[in-house]
Amino acid sequence: MPEKLSFYIQRSSAFHSLNPLTKLGLVFAFIVIAYTSPFYWTATVIFGLGVLPLAFVGRVQREFLLAALRLLVPVTGFIFIMQSLFLPGGERELFHFWVFRVTVESVAQAYLTVSRIFVMISAFILFLLTTHPSALMTDLTRRGLPGTFAYVIISTLQIIPQMQSKAQTIIAAQRSRGMETGGSLANRVRALVPLVGPLVFGSLVEVEERAIAIEARGFTSRLKKTSLYEIADTRLDRGLRWFLLGLVVLSVAARVLAG
Amino acid sequence: MSIVELRNVTYQYPFSERPALEGIDLRIDEGEFVAVIGPNGAGKSSLCYTVSGFIPHFFKGELQGSVVVGGVETRQSTLAECVRRAGLAFQNPFNQISGAKYTVFEEIAFGLENLGVPREEMRARVERMLERAGIADLAGRSPYALSGGQQQRVALASILVMEPQVLVLDEPTSQMDPIGTREVFGMIKELAGRGLTVLMVEHKVEWVAAFADRVVALDGGHVIAQGRPEEVLTDPLLAERNFGLSRYTLAARAALQAGLWPAGRRLPVTLEEAVEGFKAAAA
Amino acid sequence: MTDIRVKDLHHVYPGGVAALQGISLEIRSGEQVGIVGQNGAGKTTLVKHFNGLLQPTRGEVWVDELDTRKVSVAKLAARVGYVFQNPDEQLFCKTVGEEVAFGPRNLGFAPEKAEALCKEALELTEIGDRAGANPYDLSPTWRKMVALASILSMDTPVVIFDEPTTGQDPASVARIARVVAALRAKGKTVITITHDIDFCAENFARVIALSQGRVLLDGPAAEVLGQAETLAQTYVEPPQLTRLGQRLGLKRTILTQEDLLAELGKKQ
Ligand SMILES: Nc1ncnc2c1ncn2[C@@H]1O[C@H](COP(=O)(O)OP(=O)(O)OP(=O)(O)O)[C@@H](O)[C@H]1O
Ligand SMILES: Nc1ncnc2c1ncn2[C@@H]1O[C@H](COP(=O)(O)OP(=O)(O)OP(=O)(O)O)[C@@H](O)[C@H]1O
Ligand SMILES: [Mg+2]
Ligand SMILES: [Mg+2]
Repeated sequence: MPEKLSFYIQRSSAFHSLNPLTKLGLVFAFIVIAYTSPFYWTATVIFGLGVLPLAFVGRVQREFLLAALRLLVPVTGFIFIMQSLFLPGGERELFHFWVFRVTVESVAQAYLTVSRIFVMISAFILFLLTTHPSALMTDLTRRGLPGTFAYVIISTLQIIPQMQSKAQTIIAAQRSRGMETGGSLANRVRALVPLVGPLVFGSLVEVEERAIAIEARGFTSRLKKTSLYEIADTRLDRGLRWFLLGLVVLSVAARVLAG
Repeated sequence: MSIVELRNVTYQYPFSERPALEGIDLRIDEGEFVAVIGPNGAGKSSLCYTVSGFIPHFFKGELQGSVVVGGVETRQSTLAECVRRAGLAFQNPFNQISGAKYTVFEEIAFGLENLGVPREEMRARVERMLERAGIADLAGRSPYALSGGQQQRVALASILVMEPQVLVLDEPTSQMDPIGTREVFGMIKELAGRGLTVLMVEHKVEWVAAFADRVVALDGGHVIAQGRPEEVLTDPLLAERNFGLSRYTLAARAALQAGLWPAGRRLPVTLEEAVEGFKAAAA
Repeated sequence: MTDIRVKDLHHVYPGGVAALQGISLEIRSGEQVGIVGQNGAGKTTLVKHFNGLLQPTRGEVWVDELDTRKVSVAKLAARVGYVFQNPDEQLFCKTVGEEVAFGPRNLGFAPEKAEALCKEALELTEIGDRAGANPYDLSPTWRKMVALASILSMDTPVVIFDEPTTGQDPASVARIARVVAALRAKGKTVITITHDIDFCAENFARVIALSQGRVLLDGPAAEVLGQAETLAQTYVEPPQLTRLGQRLGLKRTILTQEDLLAELGKKQ
């Protein structure tokens, strides 16, 4: 059986105890600022002095770095190389081979794109690691978001871990019927093919099963919902959200003024 | 006063060739504990879906006749209102987890959150439920990392805690250990004693015989017999039709042929009856 | 010839649940073993070690000369077939026919042999007429049969069933009993986890009772299933007829209807 359906890591830390909306606001502020700020190094600074230290504050640095390594490095590495090679223009040539000409300008542009993507994805990873989906759901519904809408958000957040655990289940089933899934690279790749169909189909079935399961628990009831836990929304949270809003406004304004 | 009333109910799933339920008439009184028995494919689960409103709200297809629960026609209310009146624990214990919760405690509280139960009361009710379902030690565990029987207990507790007027249980003990099964029957009997109405599908006839007020035998979408457990469970019709009977009944029937069970005596359905009968035969 | 040897097996799940706490036992080739015990006793966890799906935290499990810590699940699959407690965890093909053919294909049987095995498995479980259906469209009870067939077709010397009779009507339970008998006749080892103690008494010569990750009782069915007090520790009751026999003061431990009638007949 899969053990859980979220990336959430239950630990106590100052960062964990922030209101889910504050954390979500933080993620969006980081992203907006990284993309709008007129300064070249902004995204790098946000990652180095924002996201990364917060992963340590939230005591999820190990999982954070692991996820970043597995997911981010391949994705951004690929984008970096493609952009360096293919971005047109640029005066100062670094080197060239075959039909490609790599310039200082194209590398600089590639780095900017990549640093922004880095902030975007890593901030989301940090958010998912430190926020329980149900806490977010409860908080959003309390603020007036319709229940079904909140559920859609949560389900979306859970798609990847859910697929992962489903994949593990299927692989266990296939191995116990004699299919080699480990070992050589060729074996591993070959094992992926029979996984895709069942994974997609199985996930669809699961969605329907879950729909019926939550119906049985009165999820679509029109009564005003309550929550088991009080989700703290402190003055610090409110202050932080205003502060973030201010930063975003400043960043956007700077961009507009800088033209 | 009947709290559940089905009149001439016929239902056919979409794309299927024949009705799963046909001409069902069934009335259940408040506080009654009714057990439903029948072979595979008899329509037991379909009956559960019908009483709890999943038919026609979730499963489309054609529902004829009238289904009234707590004075309200299920067609006329929303599914959420239906399950509030008649809560359903599904047959498959493995896919009833909401997926929205991190611990067993939160999982059981989920239904109460949806009903808007105040926090203090919610905590108290969940704690009491954990205790009664024998899963207090699992409160902090992930609802996914459990054994089969533990998952089934969580699923059952998640519905019981919502305190619907009518409890509809579809094979709620299929994964449970023997003594645990008997305890669940005992707990449900006690709830019925306090006015809760129970409709429970079960294959474990030994406990049906000992605890249920009435047995409804379903076959091919029809009610073929109903009444007191000792009457229905010894009905020769059932033996011909692939119904599960207790080992006591089966053994006594064989003993009767061998002259080891008193001729003319009703076949036993419980241990006590079997003991008395065999002692009488020996005497 | 396939023996299973378990030595001081411990298993701790990630998250810290100590599900098995020092299990040692041996199951000989051709034995028919029932495993009983309370919910959460560790039955499923134990048998998942026999085909390598789970790895010992401490101790070892051997299937003949194979150390399950060293060989792959796929390799062990040729020796040990495991029918999951939850069929949804086991089934993944689009049709029943593909599901049943999946195992034999991986084990590298000749096509004719694979086909013959599939046919036999479908016949034994009586799902031949549903071979074209999607397993998900079948009722849970029939899904269970598909799960069974997909392991039978692998023709492994050891077959493990995890709660095969749940939700099955008498005709279906009788069918499962026939499957067990057919495997016994072929000299295969059958290990069955079950809460259905009556079924256990009628079909298995040896019974192991687990309790809280340890072996509570292990021996011939008549010996183990008569011990009401010890069994109660793991929430198991003796079979119906055993209880009846005890109440009637019969000396022998009654396991089946034949036992009962024979004893009563003797008395008269
Ligand atoms: N979703 C469905 N779509 C089409 N037909 C269905 C569906 N569910 C059940 N049926 C059919 O309806 C009939 C009654 O099924 P139902 O599941 O109610 O039986 P049951 O008595 O609960 O059986 P079991 O003991 O196997 O759980 C069967 O013939 C079954 O094949
Ligand atoms: N994936 C898992 N992660 C963590 N703990 C688990 C997991 N699966 C089972 N457990 C725990 O390990 C213990 C043994 O579980 P196991 O599934 O082996 O029990 P079982 O004897 O098969 O019970 P049942 O009769 O209910 O199926 C239980 O306490 C259970 O909660
Ligand atoms: Mg059913
Ligand atoms: Mg188990």
